[in-house]
Amino acid sequence: MNISFKSIGITAYCMVIFSAVAAQSEVNSSSFGTLEARVLGPGTMSGRISSIEGVEAENGKTLYIGTAGGGIWKTTNAGASFKPVFDKYCQSIGAIAIDQKNPKVIYAGTGESNMRNSVSIGNGFYKSTDAGSNWSKTGALDSTEHIAKIAIDPSNSNTIYVAAPGPLWSDSKHRGLYKSVDAGKTFEKILYISEKAGCADVSIDPSNPNTLYATTWEFRRTPYSFSSGGEGSGIWKSVDAGKTWKQLENGLPSKPIGRTALAISPSSPNNLIAIVEAKQTGLYISSDGGASWKPQSASLNVVSRPFYFSTLVIDPKDSKRVYRPAYSFSYSSDGGYSFAEASGDGGWVHSDHHALWINPSNTNQLYLGTDGGVYMSLDRGATWTFIQNLPVGQFYHVDHDMGKPYKVFGGLQDNGSWVAPSSTAGGVANGDWKPIYGGDGFWVVPDPTDPNIAYAESQGGDVNRIDVRTVKSVSIRPLQTNAEEKLRWNWNTPIVTGKGNPKNLYTAAQYLYRSIDQGRNWQKISPDLTTNDKKKQEQENNGGLSADNTSAENHTTIFTIAESPLDEKTIWVGTDDGNLQLTRDGGKTWTNTAVNINGTGIPAQTWVSSIEPSHVSKEIVYATFDNHMYGDHNTYAAKSTDGGKTWKAFSSNEFSGFAHKIIEDPDDLLIATHGRGIMVVDDISAMRGLTNEILAKDVHLFETGDITLSTGSFGNGGFPSTGGWVAPNAPSIKPFQYFFKERITSGTVKLEIHDAEGKLVQSIPGTNRKGINRVTWTQRIAPPKTATGATKPDNGGAIAPQVLPGNYSLTLKVGKDEYKQPFRLVHEESSTFTLAERKAQYAAAMQLYNLHTSLASIVAGIADKQKTYKEDVAKLKNKKSIALGNEYLTALETLRGTLIPTKQTSIFADETRLREDITQVYQAICFNEAGPSNLQLESIKTLTSRVEAAEKKALEINAQFEANVKKAIDKEKIK
Amino acid sequence: MKLIKYLSFAVTGLLLSAMSFAQTADEIVTKHINAIGGIDNWKKVNSMRQEATLSVQGMDIPVVISAVHNKATKQEYTVMGMTGYSIITAEGGWNFNPMQGKTKPEPITQDELKYGKDQLDLQGDFVDYKAKGHSIQLMEKEDVEGVECLKLKLTRKSGNESIFFFDPKTYYIVRTSSKISANGQEVESVVNLSNYQKLPEGIVVPHTIENSAIPAPITLNKVIVNGKIDEAVFKVVTQ
Repeated sequence: MNISFKSIGITAYCMVIFSAVAAQSEVNSSSFGTLEARVLGPGTMSGRISSIEGVEAENGKTLYIGTAGGGIWKTTNAGASFKPVFDKYCQSIGAIAIDQKNPKVIYAGTGESNMRNSVSIGNGFYKSTDAGSNWSKTGALDSTEHIAKIAIDPSNSNTIYVAAPGPLWSDSKHRGLYKSVDAGKTFEKILYISEKAGCADVSIDPSNPNTLYATTWEFRRTPYSFSSGGEGSGIWKSVDAGKTWKQLENGLPSKPIGRTALAISPSSPNNLIAIVEAKQTGLYISSDGGASWKPQSASLNVVSRPFYFSTLVIDPKDSKRVYRPAYSFSYSSDGGYSFAEASGDGGWVHSDHHALWINPSNTNQLYLGTDGGVYMSLDRGATWTFIQNLPVGQFYHVDHDMGKPYKVFGGLQDNGSWVAPSSTAGGVANGDWKPIYGGDGFWVVPDPTDPNIAYAESQGGDVNRIDVRTVKSVSIRPLQTNAEEKLRWNWNTPIVTGKGNPKNLYTAAQYLYRSIDQGRNWQKISPDLTTNDKKKQEQENNGGLSADNTSAENHTTIFTIAESPLDEKTIWVGTDDGNLQLTRDGGKTWTNTAVNINGTGIPAQTWVSSIEPSHVSKEIVYATFDNHMYGDHNTYAAKSTDGGKTWKAFSSNEFSGFAHKIIEDPDDLLIATHGRGIMVVDDISAMRGLTNEILAKDVHLFETGDITLSTGSFGNGGFPSTGGWVAPNAPSIKPFQYFFKERITSGTVKLEIHDAEGKLVQSIPGTNRKGINRVTWTQRIAPPKTATGATKPDNGGAIAPQVLPGNYSLTLKVGKDEYKQPFRLVHEESSTFTLAERKAQYAAAMQLYNLHTSLASIVAGIADKQKTYKEDVAKLKNKKSIALGNEYLTALETLRGTLIPTKQTSIFADETRLREDITQVYQAICFNEAGPSNLQLESIKTLTSRVEAAEKKALEINAQFEANVKKAIDKEKIK
Repeated sequence: MKLIKYLSFAVTGLLLSAMSFAQTADEIVTKHINAIGGIDNWKKVNSMRQEATLSVQGMDIPVVISAVHNKATKQEYTVMGMTGYSIITAEGGWNFNPMQGKTKPEPITQDELKYGKDQLDLQGDFVDYKAKGHSIQLMEKEDVEGVECLKLKLTRKSGNESIFFFDPKTYYIVRTSSKISANGQEVESVVNLSNYQKLPEGIVVPHTIENSAIPAPITLNKVIVNGKIDEAVFKVVTQ
């Protein structure tokens, strides 16, 4: 799902939801306010990395990581932590460049150039002048769609070259080598071949920046084919900063050639190496600035998939050390004559490599970008350590079971099939994710009738039934029978369970299959539902110069299946070649409704990306369509209310990109991003509730409904995460929700909770954001005022009892205006925490709360007396009076010292006094989801008598001394 | 308590609020200054005492900020009867946090001091910004929580940079964003400002401050402008 998104919040994803309000013009992403997504990650398998650049002056500490679909991530600590710095812009990154003379200047070319079937499309060239904090689009390269490389003239930072392969799916003039002489403001095209061939690489001779090398590349994808190579591909040299170009051919393979990766030796720039895709792909070297070439290694990793693996790097200091990150990681110590493979010590390194940065200050240190994330080496690439905190996985689909909390299932580009809890103790960390199947992952579907079973696949219809406990798999791929044509499986073959009858399991090639026994046996329930256009079935000839048939271009296949939740016999099927088929009799007869869609402006062959039969009516159905593989970037989504006879297209300025999924009224929103892992928007009821009436109001307080009392869904294991991606959990307490038409700029926003008697229970500050606001109340009263004046702090003053179930009311105060809603707090009965136990807990907690209050008063009384008499006693002259005064003050201080710590200040030195003793029991009772124990109750009695004794003692001391001390002071007329 | 650790950042927010000071960049700046009371009124500001509350689920933490223009600022907070503070003067900066068992103030880091010193300008960065050696740069508009804001980058004479987001209707600052260097790491401080109120002195000051590092907003209860502030309060006793 190539969703390009604007921000981490919900804003970008609303394209996938069309609820009743979507057609209203008043609604836009800001209407959703604080409804934001939890980024579930994970970082454990990460995702494809397209570019890595480091700040040379910072010795490998500051790096920018460009990703295939997850934007740009910056580290300032060599990878210990990362921050995304490009969230507001296109998330597919082709190239990054840092102006090493002024490393605050960063350039980003959007649109990755690893031109696989699922590659995302860019929207131009960006510049930051503040080290990635802020970006602006510049240079008018918006239509290049894919940018492979940015090179900055080392002698003049204003001169920049951008290699743009250009659009993958269509002819275009927007490709070639571009040059800017004004630091990216404007660009001039300085090397252009044709509408079919762009520029794939550019290098500048560091010793003579007028000398440039560039490679051009002719390539093209269609929905059903891929071709790399042609007359437009070539290797070029300019010695006049790009004014004129000469093609390099001497010693190189004869044309046609394909994609060429070219590297220049930084330490000896006449030395060049190039991997040239040709009928016989191989690595070539030149020692005379490209005038002549000779062949070197053609080992597997050197020649593998040139369209996809175009990275070739020479060590900055050692011109013989050559790195070839490709299918695997190989390196040469003899200038490319022979290559060795990285060691497996230290763990597996994900295959498919696209980026490599070598720290020029320490050339042992390398950062490698793979299809599965970033790795670092400290031994020139022999062994690698995985960087675990980049949540840039490229999911194709997401699903969930009905557990509480529910589990999330999803399959990723080159990263298999995974399962994780949506929430768990400590948050959802890398270790909580469990891989259940390999290869590329797509649909991962829990069996709604059997919690131990999920269905998953690898590319091209390799469907399996998996026992998630043992991760053992059984192949259940339907097979071709004698009478049938060869089965055509989509790269991303649908696996779907029935919404009408959960026992139904579906998958499809060009035929639809149904199983009612978990895939043990299948029934073919359709004829060929595709156009069966033979011209679109020649995948064996794919790849162009390098044969490449991995099922990625399989076409005229079924892509989406949906059973009506209201009727298991009503099944919709969408194909990748534009058919939208319907059966009303469980597959006996089929109608192609595609012809009915044409009137909406959706082109005939458009890929049907998703179908959502309504939960409300069998006649209502929604569908999305994706035609980008024909170079059409329009967003297509449509609805039918008459069983597909007529369709109406949705349109909104808020929707952009290729529509991949449509869902009717979900509760939580799970989003499979193709580059930022899974995201969850918990409880979107307020979004669903945004009616026209509410949208017209300045302020609306949503009905709260019953709220379950909770101290949190999970405990605290006591140890924080030691690294890796950790996602926050879903909120354990349902928040209060309100809507502001505009951001509140004057007056405070406050929420007050009153009990059934109207007594104020708690007052909490509210948020003032435009759109939906969510504020959580901890369901506790304000903490007690505890004894002050101690040498150490005590937690008692920050802890409050949780209130009892019952009727309450919520008042939202916005400036002088008030909005009220009644609500109910409810106890969730369980064997470990009954209502009776909750009441006993509350009573005990309140007793301790009151003990704190009483103690605070006693201690304040003592302090008050001390304050009153201390100075005066110091002024006394009569010895007896002095002794009496000191005795009084000492008695008070001695008593105070039994009630609160008065000696130790170090937080590591225990000085437990009555206040701390109360807090120990108070804290336990307030936070336990359990009734108080016998000994806790016993302890309250003891603490009560200790407080009473303290009070009595204070009175005694005052009675014994105060009058006499006062008399002595008065006698000496001390004022 | 984490809360306390972040209070010094909160205080940054409060101070920014005091200096709330953007079309060309200069037009925005002029409209902004007019919106918050005008340059003349702001140039009369020599001291400010702000009494505020940080309220976390019913636990109210009083915060008091005393500041003398271009001289010193002190922020005090009281949690469960224990009062901590931080002081920044032209000479140095100190934190005192009794909650951590401290009995005397500790010096703040040079990074913190570099940022903190910029906060001593009570009249705000934008008043006479050129004379102060600051520079401004207009940036592309950006949506801040549903408001399409005007955006300026301010580069102070000190080299510290902040981004200011202005509501195009009111020209009030909606948000500031600053990168602070701490131990070689970039820490981003984002402060949202709202609830602007006009003071008797004619200046308009935000009374609700939300700092990204603190779990609850800070609300100003009382602001005294040009009241007498005994400069003895900025004396640091380290013995």
